[in-house]
Amino acid sequence: MRAALPQSRPVLMTLSTLVGLTVCWLTTTPFGLLAPLAGLCLYARGKALTLLNASLGTGIIFSAAVWGTHAKATLDVALMWTSMFAVALCIGAIVTSAATARADEGADGTASEHPNAATTPQVTDNHAIARSETTSSGPSLSLIHSEDRDLAAHAAARAFWTGVPQVVRYRQLHGDGSYRWIETRSEPDYSISVDIDDVVTDREPPAEPTSYCDLDVRQSAKVVESLFGNGWAFDAEGRWIYLHPFALNSLGVTLDDLNAALEEGHTAWKRLLHPDDYDQIAAAWRHCLQTGDHFNVEFRFRRANGAYVWARTAARPTRDRDGGIIGWFGIALDIDVYKKTVTALRNRERELSQLVDMVPSHLWRLTPDGEPTFFNRRMIDFLGLDVTDLEESDGSRLDAFMRTIHPDDAAGFKETLKRCLVAGAGFDQIYRLRRADGAYRWMSSRAEPLRDQAGRIVQWHGVCHDIDDQMKAEEALRQSQRQLQQLIDTVPVMIWSTTDKGTPTYLNKRYIDVTGITLEGLFAADGSPAPLAVTHPDDRAAATQVRTRAFETGGSYFVRYRQIRRDGSYRWTETRAEALRDDGGNILRWYGVAVDIDDMVTAQEKLRRSERELQQLIDALPIHIWSWTPDGKLAYVNKRYLEHLGLSQANFEDFAKVIRGLIHPDDSVAVELVAANCLKTGDPFTMRYRRRTPDGGYRWVEGRSEPLRDQDGTVVHWYHVSIDIDDAVRAQEELRLAYENLARQSQAASLAELSASIAHEVNQPLTAIVANSHACQRWLNGDTPNIERVQKIVERIIRDANSAADVVGRIRALFRQSTESRCRTSLESIVSKTRELLADEVLRRHVRLEVDSEEGLPPLTLDRVQIQQVLINLVRNGMDAMDTVGGDKVVGMQLRRAGDAIQIDIRDRGRGIAFPEKIFEPFFTTKEHGMGMGLAICRSIVESHGGRLWAENNEPRGAAFIFTLPIGPGATP
Amino acid sequence: MTVESLTVFIVDDDERIREALEELLASHGMRAITFASARDYVNADKGNVPACLILDVELPDINGLELQEQLAKDDHPPIVFITGHGDIPSSVRAIRHGAVDFLTKPISDAALMAAIHAALAQDRKNRAERAELEEWRQRYLELTPREREVLPLVVSGLLNKQAAAELGISEVTLQLHRRSVMQKMAAASLADLVRIAERLAIPITHSRRAGRK
Repeated sequence: MRAALPQSRPVLMTLSTLVGLTVCWLTTTPFGLLAPLAGLCLYARGKALTLLNASLGTGIIFSAAVWGTHAKATLDVALMWTSMFAVALCIGAIVTSAATARADEGADGTASEHPNAATTPQVTDNHAIARSETTSSGPSLSLIHSEDRDLAAHAAARAFWTGVPQVVRYRQLHGDGSYRWIETRSEPDYSISVDIDDVVTDREPPAEPTSYCDLDVRQSAKVVESLFGNGWAFDAEGRWIYLHPFALNSLGVTLDDLNAALEEGHTAWKRLLHPDDYDQIAAAWRHCLQTGDHFNVEFRFRRANGAYVWARTAARPTRDRDGGIIGWFGIALDIDVYKKTVTALRNRERELSQLVDMVPSHLWRLTPDGEPTFFNRRMIDFLGLDVTDLEESDGSRLDAFMRTIHPDDAAGFKETLKRCLVAGAGFDQIYRLRRADGAYRWMSSRAEPLRDQAGRIVQWHGVCHDIDDQMKAEEALRQSQRQLQQLIDTVPVMIWSTTDKGTPTYLNKRYIDVTGITLEGLFAADGSPAPLAVTHPDDRAAATQVRTRAFETGGSYFVRYRQIRRDGSYRWTETRAEALRDDGGNILRWYGVAVDIDDMVTAQEKLRRSERELQQLIDALPIHIWSWTPDGKLAYVNKRYLEHLGLSQANFEDFAKVIRGLIHPDDSVAVELVAANCLKTGDPFTMRYRRRTPDGGYRWVEGRSEPLRDQDGTVVHWYHVSIDIDDAVRAQEELRLAYENLARQSQAASLAELSASIAHEVNQPLTAIVANSHACQRWLNGDTPNIERVQKIVERIIRDANSAADVVGRIRALFRQSTESRCRTSLESIVSKTRELLADEVLRRHVRLEVDSEEGLPPLTLDRVQIQQVLINLVRNGMDAMDTVGGDKVVGMQLRRAGDAIQIDIRDRGRGIAFPEKIFEPFFTTKEHGMGMGLAICRSIVESHGGRLWAENNEPRGAAFIFTLPIGPGATP
Repeated sequence: MTVESLTVFIVDDDERIREALEELLASHGMRAITFASARDYVNADKGNVPACLILDVELPDINGLELQEQLAKDDHPPIVFITGHGDIPSSVRAIRHGAVDFLTKPISDAALMAAIHAALAQDRKNRAERAELEEWRQRYLELTPREREVLPLVVSGLLNKQAAAELGISEVTLQLHRRSVMQKMAAASLADLVRIAERLAIPITHSRRAGRK
């Protein structure tokens, strides 16, 4: 019997329920419920049975509590319920003990008998099945062959209620009016899980089920109500005709309230449903009312408290024997918790799906053989294809996928993948993957196998990151590092680094190349750092000091020293280093750079020496140098100048003032003017002026200023040099005086020289004449006078005599020919010049020259030089005359007007003249060395000016030479 | 010696003077050769005849006084200076250097002729001395080396014995040499030989006293 029990379980349950309900209805007590409860107890197993017993116990306590506390009106009801729960609990206890006893026997529990066995094959492969968004549960029943309709409907309902997918075969009406067999897999109405994988088959359908006929709707409703708790019924028009009072109560409505919606053109569901669900439900309901199709829906309905809860509802039509619908009965199950759970699950699934699709990585799945079975959205977008697109006529998906990998990386990828698939080890590979646009991007891929409980690999899950940017960045970084390294090695400086304590850690290539010292060379044999190995022994002390201080204080590291070179020589090198610090300011490292500055140092040294020499030169030169800028800034003053001025330091203003004050007052105005002009125009300044010396005297200096101009011609600097030229100026002055003296003397001497020259000129022909005359005489006195010869000689004598006469003539002409040089001159000026010329001689010979000139003498037309010669000659004659006499030696000169002439008397106090007329004859002289020409020439000159010259004896002694020069334009020779 | 065989050289830059003096000398029967400058005179081939030189002080290239100094190194005719304006220092200098006379232009016939004659006389004397010296010099050259060794010893006054000892020869041999020297040098006596040796500037190397020692 027990073996048959499971097969007849629904029937028995239904029967027991019906019996129970009938009992309840007939007795109006809840004892009828004992039948179904007993059935439940009988079928419940394990925890369900315990739960049921517990519920029954709770019911007893609750009922007893109500019985014990409430008024007499409800006393009987409570008592009945308590009794009923007690009886049920007893049944439950008996059943439980029976089940325990059966379990102890351990003989007859088989998997096939287990109620859950029916649900075991619920393993579905959601991913392997394509889905549709269709929400209806398969085709309308009207399209299904009438013989299969009930079967399909039943399967749908079963799937609907149980959530167990149902596979059903039925004949479906096609567009051409024929029926074809279709196998449909029905699943509970998840929006995404309706199976449309239709498989056309011609297999015979299984045995057909029976359908309900001619049932009373209300009755039916109550039957299901007895099973599920909620039952209701509609008439054929869709009008509410029954709803459990408990439900009405909880909904807070009456049937009339619900049916009132019909009057308004709505379905009777209007009042109950959530507005969002109503339209769809109403449409389905109307369809069902019309076609008699099963009504299987889920909706939200409103409770009395206004809250909407989910309910799963189904309704079935009952028909009369003619097939006409006579009403509808149905149930509603509160699935709010379930629904919300599903919604939550679905949201989570969506989130998961979104997560999978949205994570910025490629997620993929492989079969244990390595065949791709899933790509996430990003990967699909990246590749431009899905796993299904990898299906090809030849080769596997993997092969197709391999084609998206960069050819250079494909071999490695395949090799690694193969090894991983075989070994089951994690896959980790970097490769380039082709993007949809054909560009390859670097990817980092990892995959791990998913194993089942047996340890077999079920599938591989992989993730793949786009690391192209990273790779490029790394490449760029590598490049950058390489360049940096190249830079460090190429720059013409030596670079090193040390730890914070100064232990060398790095030398760049150049350092090693130049010094010939490697990093190891900077360590002593015992491993201690010896950074001074490159330093000249003489510089080590200083370098050590700098190092020590820098490393101790973290301050500046700057040292110049001689550094060794590969060839063993030393060159001046400058090293600078800076500390690298962390955020806390602690020194991590020292970085240093050493630059060969030997040439520079040498050049600097040379420059410094040159500058020093130049400076010494400038300071040593007996000149004053200073310079200033146009904006009035003193740029330089040489030491000598400062010392000269008695200044140590000065600004431009003071300096200019001081030197301005030193200029001789007679020169200062001119210097100021010229200097101001030069500063304005930028012209060089050159002037000679007198400057006061520290001892108060003045000395001549020559000041020169030159502007230095830039490319635009703007003056950027003025340089001034002043040189003491006092000696030169004085020497020049003396020279000039000497020249004047010389000129004076030569003028004074010219008559004597002239005389000598004349004498020679005349003497020569005279000598010839004398000699010839003697010869002539001898020839004539001889025994036989040589007349012929005499003739020749006489001709010569005549010739030579003429020659002598010519000389004299030429002399006369000499004094006559200079009329052109005559000009109007005041006689006083000539006298004054004469005094000047004779001043030295007068002084030397202790003679006093007294000049007495009448006022207002008119200027005369005369030859200055000639008259001057006459005066000099006469005065000198006077002085000569007094050489041998004692007493006052006075030569008096008197100028006065005498009629239409000016008379000049020159008187001496000598011996006087014995032959006042004869002395004017040529070659007459009273003097020891005289030529006797002077007075003759003087007379000649005076007469050529139209005047007269004569001599008288002076009173009381001496001689007077008097000459006149006519006034008036005409002066005849 | 006839007047014709005499030559008077005249150096003066003035042609008139040269002509006049040449004529005057011609009237005295003397041959005159004239030069316009000192250089012309120096360069000319003047022959070896008795002569004198009338030299103007003022000359265009080197003046007369300077020429006199140049000529003083060699044998030259005695010089008579003439000048346009003579000063005392010049005349003193000229006379000191051996000039025969210093005449100032214009020159009188008598003064000139007197000076020329004096100059020629001196020239003649100079020439005679030079000729005699030349003869002795020729004679001396004829002496044998031994005789030339003997001669200074003899004129030094050494005794024959001393001289022979000095030369390491016998007295007899020395006497033979001595006689030969006397003959070759045409010396009439020992005193004559000494005088000749002196003119020839043969040094007296030994004294009798020194030799004895």
